[in-house]
Amino acid sequence: MDAGQETFAAGLVTALPIGLGYFPIAFAFGVAATGAGLSGWEAAALSVIIYAGASQFLALALLTSGAALPVAAFTLIAMNLRHVLYGPALMKAAGAGAGKRHAWAWAWGLTDEVFGAALGEIARGKRFSEAGMFGLGLLPYAAWISGTVAGALAGGGALAGWPVLEAGLGFLLPALFLALLLSILTRPQVPVIVVAGLACVAGTLAVSSTTGILGGMVAGALAGVMRRARA
Amino acid sequence: MRWEVLALALVVGAANWGFRYLPIRFGLGSGAEGGVLARFLAAVGPAAIATLFFASALPFVAAGAVLAPALGTAAVLAVWVWRRSVVLATLAGAVAYAGGFALSG
Repeated sequence: MDAGQETFAAGLVTALPIGLGYFPIAFAFGVAATGAGLSGWEAAALSVIIYAGASQFLALALLTSGAALPVAAFTLIAMNLRHVLYGPALMKAAGAGAGKRHAWAWAWGLTDEVFGAALGEIARGKRFSEAGMFGLGLLPYAAWISGTVAGALAGGGALAGWPVLEAGLGFLLPALFLALLLSILTRPQVPVIVVAGLACVAGTLAVSSTTGILGGMVAGALAGVMRRARA
Repeated sequence: MRWEVLALALVVGAANWGFRYLPIRFGLGSGAEGGVLARFLAAVGPAAIATLFFASALPFVAAGAVLAPALGTAAVLAVWVWRRSVVLATLAGAVAYAGGFALSG
């Protein structure tokens, strides 16, 4: 099936639901960032420069808990290491000869959701194009930055009079992680997830949340390497 | 702007850009799939996400609330099964949690 080449405009349309979903999450990040003591400029800088939702929320926790800069950077980088797999998987689906001349720019927008949407378009018969990738990546990035700025302008106390809304926004983070976990869940990954969860809980209860996060990531990754080595 | 915030953003942002672009630029991932690096890369993502889910859920468990977290979690699971969308499942979970919070408040 050939549904034609993905254009810039078609990429924008495909990205619309992602942008609509990103805005409130980014708004919650902006509110949380200013509530945690960051300035509006600092909150916006995190969204412009890092552009990875879950790790930005974690960055807030690490910054406010006083974690050392190398520990914080290592934790956040380890968390985003999964993105290494997205580009090769996308180019493999796009087929031989797919353009990558401007990948240095459009690859920046290759988040979890954009990656999933791009694969979905190819599965539906659209031919990969770099213009389409620019369209697909631009709208979510704009929504993420504008949502952060709106949340930062609203301020950390903006939701004090809206406890139900504040509660819902507070649950966005575990909901996002659970949804991401479901999106990558396969039978071979179950031992990795179980070991990571157990190590995280044990480390958090025994020492601190930072120890639990680092311990969970390392133990889970080692479980994955060792399990496959035995297989 | 504090230097530690900017430095953290620049280091992590540079790594993110490298993770997203360099494997495309150099055609990484097309080699043997059973190597130690490939196994590590395959495991570290799920391990990180699982860890962060448990880390973010622990405060809700510690707070002792039942209805709102249960509704939120159920909504994430249901919408994921229904639509296979991370964004929609996330938003549904937040809305359901807020509903449960309002009911139990």
